[in-house]
Amino acid sequence: MDDRLRETLSAMMDDQADELAVRRVLSHDDQEAVHRQWQRWQQIRDVMQDAPYTGTTVDVREAVRQSLLGESGQDSDQTPVSRVRARWRWSAVAMISLGVLVGFGAGSGWDTMTTPHGDGLVTVRTGGPADGMANVPEVALQGLDERQWEQLSRYLLEHAQNNSVGSGQGAVGYARVTSVSGSGY
Amino acid sequence: MTVVHKQQSGSVAELQEASFRPPMKPETDNTASQGTDGQTDLQLVRKARHGDRSAFDLLVLKYQSRVASIISRYVYDSQEVLDLTQEAFIKAYRAIERFRGDSAFYTWLYRIAVNTAKNYLESRGRRPQAVADVADAESFDDGGHLRDIASPERHLQRDQLREALDLAIRQLPEELRSAFLLREYEGLSYDDIANILECPIGTVRSRIFRARDSIDRQLGSLLEMD
Repeated sequence: MDDRLRETLSAMMDDQADELAVRRVLSHDDQEAVHRQWQRWQQIRDVMQDAPYTGTTVDVREAVRQSLLGESGQDSDQTPVSRVRARWRWSAVAMISLGVLVGFGAGSGWDTMTTPHGDGLVTVRTGGPADGMANVPEVALQGLDERQWEQLSRYLLEHAQNNSVGSGQGAVGYARVTSVSGSGY
Repeated sequence: MTVVHKQQSGSVAELQEASFRPPMKPETDNTASQGTDGQTDLQLVRKARHGDRSAFDLLVLKYQSRVASIISRYVYDSQEVLDLTQEAFIKAYRAIERFRGDSAFYTWLYRIAVNTAKNYLESRGRRPQAVADVADAESFDDGGHLRDIASPERHLQRDQLREALDLAIRQLPEELRSAFLLREYEGLSYDDIANILECPIGTVRSRIFRARDSIDRQLGSLLEMD
């Protein structure tokens, strides 16, 4: 560890390090050195504050680490929260995709009901009450003309962009749509 | 014991005269160990929630002594204290996605530690004494009133460590000592210390680091004995 990194670690002791600095410390190659330094400074603080358990009386880090590693070995290296989030993410993607398609179709007023199914069209039927409601048009994804495809692509792109910014999950979804669209957006 | 107050901007000289013992109950409520606002804890928690074990390691290293102290209020056997301390941290890791940051991380951890100790005693058919409760967490001060179950040898080592620490602090250059003591005993932010010492924040940060580094080197093997 160089002095610059150790100074950052010292600032972390005092809650004076920003997010990037913390990231830099945590990504340092020699984490054992980081831990040793951190522990020694914590011990000094404990002694200064007259904490009953000071010095090396207590060190459960390795035992905790081994226990947690044992658990993670059974079910990948994901934390519980990341597993839950992964499930939610895929559910959210599915819901949003369906919502976009339905919204786009209903909003643009496409009427593809008259298009025969026999010519290879793939249709998506929107959900809704079985009776007593106005008919909701189906949306065909094939057989669109160039203008419609462009409109759909732009809509999906904007939605993905908004979603990536709003959810704080990064721009991965946006990047995927961009790469798939291949139209220079 | 001389306590230097934030308002005493001209009191740096008093620091030189001050004993290096902290007050049993600091007059400022902002203890250095919890930082100014727990910013680092929250940063580490966020990292740990995304699977960064090293971030959680830093939290364990930071709080293990205090968690052991809490548990020792309930359990008298030192091996049991260590086992339950370990269990408390494992529970904390498993539940870390439920920590929302409404309270300080230490408060949340305190509750887990108390409940771990109580559950352990109940599982053994022992009734936990009401020596501490989760309601105490917000105002918890792990000063000298906690029961210490360390061995006589440990007491001796600690006394030696304390003496060496006092000496190391006294031998610091004045500008390093002032910044370091204002931070550690008064819990002042770098910004406040910079105002008091009339120097840039970067200088404060550097002085505190150099003070820690110097003390660390002087204590040397005393911090490694076990």
